[in-house]
Amino acid sequence: MKVRVRLIGRFTETLGFTEKDLSFRGPVTAAGLARRLCLDKVEHVATREGRPLADGDPLEDGDRVVVAPVFSGG
Amino acid sequence: MKGWTGNILRIDLTKKTYKKEHFTEEFARKWIGGRGFALKILWDELAPGVDPLGPDNKLLVVLGPIAGVPMPNSGKTVVAAKSPLTGTYADGNIGSHITIQLRKAGYDIMIFEGRSAKPEYVLVEDDTVTFHPADDLWGKGTFDTQKVLEDKYGKTAGILSIGQGGENKVLFAVVRSMEGRAGGRPGIGAVMGSKNLKAIVVKGTKEIPMADPKEMKARGVGDLKKVGAMDKTSKWSVQGTNAVLSWCNEMAALPVRNHRHSQSSEAWKLDGQRTSEARVATYGCPHCTMRCGIAILDKEGHESEIDYENVGMLGPNLEIYDMKQMASLNYMCDDFGIDTISTGGTLSWYADAIDQGATKGDFKFGDAERAKELTRMIALREGIGDLLADGSLKAAKKVGHHSEAYAIQCKGLELSAYNCKYVPGQALAFGTSAIGAHHKEAWIITYELKFSERGGYGRDKAQKVVDLQRIRSSIFESLPICRFPWIELGWDLKNYPEYYNIATGANWTLEDFLKTGDRIYALMKAYWCREHPDTDRTADYPPRVYFDPKIADKDGIIAGKHLEMDKYDELLSHYYDIRGWDKRGVPTRKTMVSVGLEKEADQLAKVCVVSDDCVPMGNRGV
Repeated sequence: MKVRVRLIGRFTETLGFTEKDLSFRGPVTAAGLARRLCLDKVEHVATREGRPLADGDPLEDGDRVVVAPVFSGG
Repeated sequence: MKGWTGNILRIDLTKKTYKKEHFTEEFARKWIGGRGFALKILWDELAPGVDPLGPDNKLLVVLGPIAGVPMPNSGKTVVAAKSPLTGTYADGNIGSHITIQLRKAGYDIMIFEGRSAKPEYVLVEDDTVTFHPADDLWGKGTFDTQKVLEDKYGKTAGILSIGQGGENKVLFAVVRSMEGRAGGRPGIGAVMGSKNLKAIVVKGTKEIPMADPKEMKARGVGDLKKVGAMDKTSKWSVQGTNAVLSWCNEMAALPVRNHRHSQSSEAWKLDGQRTSEARVATYGCPHCTMRCGIAILDKEGHESEIDYENVGMLGPNLEIYDMKQMASLNYMCDDFGIDTISTGGTLSWYADAIDQGATKGDFKFGDAERAKELTRMIALREGIGDLLADGSLKAAKKVGHHSEAYAIQCKGLELSAYNCKYVPGQALAFGTSAIGAHHKEAWIITYELKFSERGGYGRDKAQKVVDLQRIRSSIFESLPICRFPWIELGWDLKNYPEYYNIATGANWTLEDFLKTGDRIYALMKAYWCREHPDTDRTADYPPRVYFDPKIADKDGIIAGKHLEMDKYDELLSHYYDIRGWDKRGVPTRKTMVSVGLEKEADQLAKVCVVSDDCVPMGNRGV
């Protein structure tokens, strides 16, 4: 399955891309996606269609997930 | 007294006199510094109803016990006065060499009174104050003014100045420093202009008194390195504050077309990556470890220092997606010394009012050249600019035809660049901000998304807003010190009481700061009530347009969504309940007494009904 990932802010700098498809051989959760991005130990917010994803939420083929650092307001 | 110098420099611009006064340690420990000092002094010294642009208003420049010493991002100064835009207490913090120089000159507070007969600037050199004609500076922008004064007094001299916006008393004129820094959104620059005070220059040579200077130095050097390393590792400064633009767009919280929309397919043209790629220089405040001032070239070739609020309000909010044109607008605001947020919010109101048929005019969303011309007219109060220079709410009241509905403001101050039509907690944060809609008081959008329910109105959101107002008012606005290491890099809050203790010899905990934050916020709201005795809970509402189903997004992730009035009212009641304010939003006597404001409660009661205690929630409806 493929999940489209949109990175925000400093994650685009540390991971070197803004938006791309990631392929997974089997089912994957939001936590699995974070591990794939090496963000599992970094505080972040992952959302799908504007709704936050919990670690255990399964992702589906074709999902677009926005992954952002935790902003606390300018 | 350690930490504070204990000295006030009071300058009478009418009589050309000055004197050194002293404040007590009891006053210092009750109010900390910065906002706390300014608020208490203005409460005590200004009569209710004083004309904000008259000689009886006072301009304050205020520091605190760790200001100016090398600590992470400790270069902030608070400027404060009664606001001509909101009619209540107002302040802003600004990064400036004046933070260091004023402390070295031996003062924590400067109070400017009266009005000079002619344009002047004031020079403070330790114990000496001199008054200088500013005829050759009057009419100059802030960049030229800064340069002239730097050439004369040196690059590290502490300089605050105003541009033509302040001179012409634009109600959202700011105070400027170090070319890129600004403070005092609710018209502190206009107050300075009303006093014919073009600039303040300070040079000091004394030691800043510290309880434990060795520990202060060691801690400062160590923590500056640590925070600097955190920034480098995280790469926060690469995009700076404008990183949040694409997130706001993805989350449908971006102000687009005067907040009518919350997402734009063109927002990427102005996002953090693009502005970072266009960067030609980077600037920061004194003692800064994470310099956020990203300078890009504008259409005319000027260096224009941008951050998210500028980009959001002068870009998508006006539907201007040409980065160089947006940068031109930003540069003009900086040079004229007018607030970028309120300029963007007022121009978007004007375009909307024309679009809705409330008034006639030739300005349309997306017309960058006309926006630039209108910005110039605002600063100089020419033609229609004279109306717009009063801000969106006052302009709307004059124009009529229900155009007040499109003024995106709270208490008269335009909202920062966050569209809250479906972010109830942030709407509450803007609504209850005691100085008007400002993001520096509380920002909870991430909390709402990650830890709560976006469309929910639960008590947890009211509690979060209160918590942040307490922290920000007491620590960041009153020490004063930049909040970015904490909010952007996660620098632990417990560091700040430790800094305070090293400086002053106290033994404060975070809880002591939070209690002081409650005192400060109660008096800030009391100030509003004293100036607006008929106030009610509607003063704490967000822009009414957020409740209007007709302006809900037509598509995207929040299509059809909008705030609901009855639920917002319940959320506001939770906020009042937590604060101990009555259902009108007036602090009760019991609450004021509990935070050490007994005398102030008596004073407030002379002009405004003050309830003895709250009726518990559940027995009073909303």
